Amino acid sequence: MQKTKFPAVVVTFILCFAFWLLLTWSFAVQELIAGAVVSLAVALFTARFFIHEKAFWLCNPVKLFSGLFFWVCVFPVELVKANVDMARRCFSGCRNINPGIVKVPVDLKSDYGQAALANAITLTPGTITMEVAEEEGQTYYYIHWIDVTKPSGKEAGDAIKGTLEKGLRRVWE
Amino acid sequence: MAIRIIVDLLLVIGAVFALAGTIGVLKMPDTYSRMQASTCIATLGMLGVALGALLYAIFVMHSAGTAVKVALVAGLILATNPVGSHAIAKGAYKSGIRPEKKMEVDDLGRDLYD
Amino acid sequence: MSELVIFAVFLALLAALLMVRVAKGPTAADRMVAGDAADTLICCAMILFSLFSGRGIYLDISIVCAAFGFIDTMLVGRYLEKERGKKDGN
Repeated sequence: MQKTKFPAVVVTFILCFAFWLLLTWSFAVQELIAGAVVSLAVALFTARFFIHEKAFWLCNPVKLFSGLFFWVCVFPVELVKANVDMARRCFSGCRNINPGIVKVPVDLKSDYGQAALANAITLTPGTITMEVAEEEGQTYYYIHWIDVTKPSGKEAGDAIKGTLEKGLRRVWE
Repeated sequence: MAIRIIVDLLLVIGAVFALAGTIGVLKMPDTYSRMQASTCIATLGMLGVALGALLYAIFVMHSAGTAVKVALVAGLILATNPVGSHAIAKGAYKSGIRPEKKMEVDDLGRDLYD
Repeated sequence: MSELVIFAVFLALLAALLMVRVAKGPTAADRMVAGDAADTLICCAMILFSLFSGRGIYLDISIVCAAFGFIDTMLVGRYLEKERGKKDGN
């Protein structure tokens, strides 16, 4: 287990306090003090699970804006395309499906990048990340795909996550 | 008036995708395909309804607190749904649930289990 | 105004339809997936009903509902993962 670091505690505290403000939506002094105490206690205990790498990477404006661009412009387009495809399959009687589990290589190195990519893949209907494995320094995802059209490996990877991975690589190098 | 039409349109989109997801969950042939269909409900079905509610709260009710809370619910569902669905899929595969009709490609079973 | 409550009732009806899968589903994973989807639908219906009636309490309930649905799902996922180990053990 790694040690609790000070920047990690600060970042976790800010997040918890923002969440408290959103939930209570009142700015009386007593409520603010209570929220600060609770957030500090939570941050002290959970910061070492929450932040594993550099804490203040979001302060880099290039990464911040490419991240915003990904979640606001790139990802919703993919989401809508996959949703329409899935809805068409459902309305046409759920017959034309060809499910299977494929294994695709992933080039992202950072932990957060891999987690974000796995969540983005799971959030698009039609693909679910089932397992993450590492072999000889290369990370592989096992992905359940509703309509297997390409063989396992690079080609299936491009078809499933080509756009997503290109967008995420700008955020987490 | 225009804003009401946009809100209705968004609500209709959400309802259509929720209906599609429900039909998928009820009629898909195996467990993992049903999971895929249920993602449809949690993404565009939920997002359509939540966006409509957000616009309604901002432009018709003029209430910032309500809008923030609606956005919070939407963000919470969007952030937690993939994690839960990943956990269920992995757990189901590990506990030995396989589709009746054998899958054409099954790298996970070939490499890690069985 | 009244279209909000119409859509809320429609979403609640869809959630009730999902209960068919909860009752019928051959495995625990099926039941949990259908239950999770019904949870999401009820959250949406509660947002719409809160806007219709103008009472903020339904929004708070909706937040709690979403958070607990996630905890439920994680719990059952972990439980299913352990199931296999028990079968192999004896």
